[in-house]
Order: sequence, then C-alpha cells, then structure tokens
Amino acid sequence: MPGADKETDLTERIEAFLADLKRGGSGTGPLRGSGEMARETTYLLRRITAQARWSSAGDLMEIIRNEGRRMTAAQPSETTVGNMVRRVLKIIREEYARSRGSSEETEQQESLHKLLTAGELSEENFRQHFVLLKANVIEAINELLTELDGTTDNIAMQALEHIHSNEVIMTVGRSRTVEAFLKDAARKRKFHVIVAECAPFCQGHEMATGLSKVGIETTVIADAAIFAVMSRVNKVIIGTQTVLANGGLRAVNGTHSVALAARHHSTPLIICAPMFKLSPQFPNEEDTFHKFVSPHEVLPFTILCILTFLSELKVNSVSSPELITLFISNIGGNAPSYIYRLMSELYHPEDHKL
Amino acid sequence: MQQPSKMNEEELVEYFRTQMRTDPDMASAVAAIRTLLEFLRRDKGETILGLRESLKWATDCLTEVDSSVAVSSGGELFLRFISLTSLEHQDLSRCKKVMEERGELFLEKISLSRTKVAKLCHTFIKDGAKILTHSSSRVVLRVLEKAAAEKKRFTVYVTESQPDTAGKQMADALRRINVPVTVVLDAAVGYVLEKVDLVIVGAEGVVESGGIINKIGTYQMAVCSKAHNKPFYVVAESFKFVRLYPLNQQDVPDRFKYKADTLRTVSDLSDEHPMIDYTPPSLITLLFTDLGVLTPSAVSDELIKLYL
Repeated sequence: MPGADKETDLTERIEAFLADLKRGGSGTGPLRGSGEMARETTYLLRRITAQARWSSAGDLMEIIRNEGRRMTAAQPSETTVGNMVRRVLKIIREEYARSRGSSEETEQQESLHKLLTAGELSEENFRQHFVLLKANVIEAINELLTELDGTTDNIAMQALEHIHSNEVIMTVGRSRTVEAFLKDAARKRKFHVIVAECAPFCQGHEMATGLSKVGIETTVIADAAIFAVMSRVNKVIIGTQTVLANGGLRAVNGTHSVALAARHHSTPLIICAPMFKLSPQFPNEEDTFHKFVSPHEVLPFTILCILTFLSELKVNSVSSPELITLFISNIGGNAPSYIYRLMSELYHPEDHKL
Repeated sequence: MQQPSKMNEEELVEYFRTQMRTDPDMASAVAAIRTLLEFLRRDKGETILGLRESLKWATDCLTEVDSSVAVSSGGELFLRFISLTSLEHQDLSRCKKVMEERGELFLEKISLSRTKVAKLCHTFIKDGAKILTHSSSRVVLRVLEKAAAEKKRFTVYVTESQPDTAGKQMADALRRINVPVTVVLDAAVGYVLEKVDLVIVGAEGVVESGGIINKIGTYQMAVCSKAHNKPFYVVAESFKFVRLYPLNQQDVPDRFKYKADTLRTVSDLSDEHPMIDYTPPSLITLLFTDLGVLTPSAVSDELIKLYL
C-alpha cells in the first residue's frame, strides 16, 4: 500500500539521520559542518510535514517536537538541529495564525502589555483544521532553505565594510564562514592574516592553505603564541559553533583564551555566525554540551598506561558576551546585547525547551 | 440591596493592611493592586477622568502606608491598566465591568508568576553549588525550594542584612526545608565570595535601564561579585518593572529610600540611613522574570511595549 510505504520510508530516513548524527559527533561522519547539518535537518522536517499523517497544526507540532527531541538526544552538542526544529515550529505557528486571519506576529510573546489587556487565560490549542496549511508550511520551509543556502554569501558580502587595507587579522582554527568572509575581502583589499593552528586537530593549517591559495598573506602560529602576537593584531575574526541566548559563545577550544587576550589588548573581536547558529540556551544550563573526543590525536594508541589519566579531551569553550564586539550574521551586524531581540524574532518562547 | 459605599482613606489603608496580614506570602504590589481593584469596585464616579483621579489619590494613600518601590510600581501598573481599558470602551459602566473582569484575571496570572520564575531559575543551580543571597526575598526562597524539591544539594549563605536583620528570617525558612544555611555579616560579603559559585537576589523594583532597586547592601554584593567574576542573578516578577531611570544612587527618589514613617516625622533626611540602593545593569548577569530569562538590555524593551 503506498501509504504504508511512505511511512516506512519516512521512518527509515529518520533513523538514518539519527545514526548519522550519532556518528557525526566524532567529526568523521558524512555530516560535516553545521551548515550541512542545518540543511539536512530542514529537508527532513519538510519531508515529515509532507508525508506524516496529521490533521491539525497541533498534531504536526507534536510530531515535529517528538522527532526534534530524539534528534537532539542523539547528538546534544549539535545545537543547530534543535534550532532548525524550533524555527519550523515557529513557522507552523505563524502560518496557523495567518490562516486564522489574526495578525498575531507580535502578540505571541509574553509581555506586560499582554498581561494587562488579554481576555481569557485559555491557551491556543491549534486544533483547527485548515486545508491550505500544509502547502503554506511547506512553502515557508522552502523559504527557510533558500535563506540557509545564502547565509555564507550574505555574510561574505559584508566583508569590505569591516576589513581595511594593510590590516592584520587574526583567526582561530578553521571556519568556512570566516574563510569566505576573508576571501571576499581579498578581492579588493590587501591584508595579512595570522591563523592560530588550534591543536589537537590543527585545522588552522587547512585554513591557512585555503587562504594562501587566493593570494592572502598568511602566517600560522601555535596556540601558545596567541597572546604574544595579539599586540600586532588589528582585529580578531572568528567563527563559532553556537551563539547562546545571552550573547555568549560556545566555540572551539581556545576561543575563550583568544577573547581574553583580545580584551587585554583592546582588540575588537568579531564573530561571523549565521542566524541558524543562534540557540535559546543559556550557559550553565546543561553541561552535556561539551563534546569529548578520544585522545588519539594527542597520544598514540600504544601508550596504554597513560590512558587512565587522560580519557577524554574537551573541545568546546564558552565565552561571555562582554568580550565580544560585534556579531556579523546573514542579516547584518549586531551588538551582543541585541541578541535577545533576534532570538525573540526567530523562536517562540514556548519552544525554548523542546 | 444597598451598594457598598465608596472607600475612604481609613477603609483603604485597613483593607491593604488586612491583605498583607492574611497572606504574608503575598507581594506588597499584589496587595496594593487587590486594594485598588476593591476601590474600583466601590467607586461611585461618573466619568473616567474622575475614576483616574480617585485611583491616583488611592495610590498616594497606599504609598504613605508602605513607601516601597513595589507598591508604587503596582499602583502605576494598575493606572496603566485602567487607561488601556478605558481606551477600548467609551461607556463607563461597560468599561467598569470589563475592568473588574480583567483585574481578576490579572491577579490570577500574577499569582502564578513566582512559580514561573522558580521553574526558569532552578536549572541554573547545579548540584553541590554554594549560593549567596541578600536579606529576605520570597521569590528567592521559592526558587531555592524548587531546587531542593528537584533533589539538588546546595548550601546557602545569607547576609544578616541590618538594620532589620531580615536575613535571619530567610535562614529560618531555609532550615525548615533542610537546606544547610549560614548567616554572615553584611561586612563579610567580600570574605565569603571566593567560596561561593553564584549570587541570587530578589528585587523590590526593576528599573528601565535593567538595573534593580533592592535592600541596602545589594550594590556592594554586586560590585564584589563582579570583582570575583561570579554570576549575579536577579529574580523578580514582571509587575515590579518601574518607570525610573536612575544614573546613580542619588537619582533614586527619597520617597523610596526611607520608610513611610521616617518620611513623615523627620525633617532632615541626611541623617537617616537609606533602606534601599540601586544596582546598575552592568553588574547584573541575568534577570529571571515570569516573562522569561532576560538580559538587562531586554528589560527596557518590555517596558516600552507596555507604556508606549
């Protein structure tokens, strides 16, 4: 029966995605980089919307929330998966409100104003059935996908405003966004880039090779030399894995030290991060977001006795918002204190906890 | 049936005091709003402007009884509520009915606010944490109760908080729920901060800049936490948001700084000790309110949404 086939096909796809997520944690699976993960998640959510059985917006939101919970449980350190689920939930809410005819975009948030003027305590239960809801939601998800495709280009387009000739820019490790950003600026300006290699994976080396291929003067330095070199640096531009709700960062190990060094020398710290990396979590809430990897990069497998001391390497560090000067995202440049506003536009407060 | 007569000053004050007595757990702003709602019910005015005038008078009476920021912010919020409702309905009797209904709903919603705050905040308390708090705050108590109910183990340091030693009440309440607690001197805050993991305080008022007005000694605690790099969290319900923008301690109006009796009896206030101080937003890490977890910069957004 075609219906049953579609469902098993859908379940298979979801299971395959979950397996990829679990493997993707070690950096060796097919899903590399948060951009691809975000895109894959959105494709999957679109497929669920199209193929799963649901009659009202409430049902669809329940299905997506359940799948979202399973996906975040598979790989808690990848916050982009959860972010995309929340975006889609917000899309469903908006389309539902639009179908009902109420212009409720601003009234969905809790506010003092709403406390004073609202009618009943009753909650929206999203039970009404609308024929066009499925088509509208899928169209909105397609718009989201177009936005995801264009993020790196949108960020790179802003490069010329921030990078000037003869500047020395420092960056850490490897970030596709920052690479595109610097390459775009290199078309018209001449500047020098210092890349910190970022042990133990030494992704800084790949970044340096990529940059020098387009003719940017690049220098690779060891992580220990960051503070020493900082006095010669005009700007620090780095990418991040997640932007937290208070404007802080969860990024590759060593980012916090770079941020502190930059503050000490009063060097501006610019973060290039697309909007899908913005997560409604606060630091301190969950400690499960630290990713641990096997120490084989640092110690060869033959030294068995030392394994009792060093069983895992933490690869993420958390920075606070006071150390950051500017966030450059696909919608423009923003101060860290403004992140709360961007968040309220992207996600609904009830979806913060899936 | 005879309609209850309009409330005069004594009845108003008596009603307010009874509210505070019957439910010691109720916030003073909530008691003020309840009193004003009762006043509204019994008011005999014929025009909306007259209603506003009498409500303003009633709020002034209440602030003479209890000069705290919370009562003032509760009164202003109620006045705002009246203005917003009166814009929708031109006819006075319909307007009053709607106001009474909405007033009841509003009171119901804000009675849930402490629970909402506790739900948001308790996840920030980790197992084995050492918490420092200032004086006695019912919201902080609720947060700690929730964390204890979630089976988290933590110890609390409370400042004694002179001149009314309110910290001891907080310590008693915490001992009752079996939380290990130590009362420290107000002067010992700097000494104890190196042992502490986080600082949580309540607020009597949250000002437009995102700063807070709270019992004297809070500012000191905030400055020390900043120096020690410890997170400084504030828990407050949303009805405490007040339309003030102090730039320093002197900017806070005198009517909030001293108790109501002091303001009435003493002529030269420079000899009196203030009861509250202002903590600027740069020292606050996060605010936990029933509108969500806010950074200090988000507070003015909330106030603008209401008052503009």
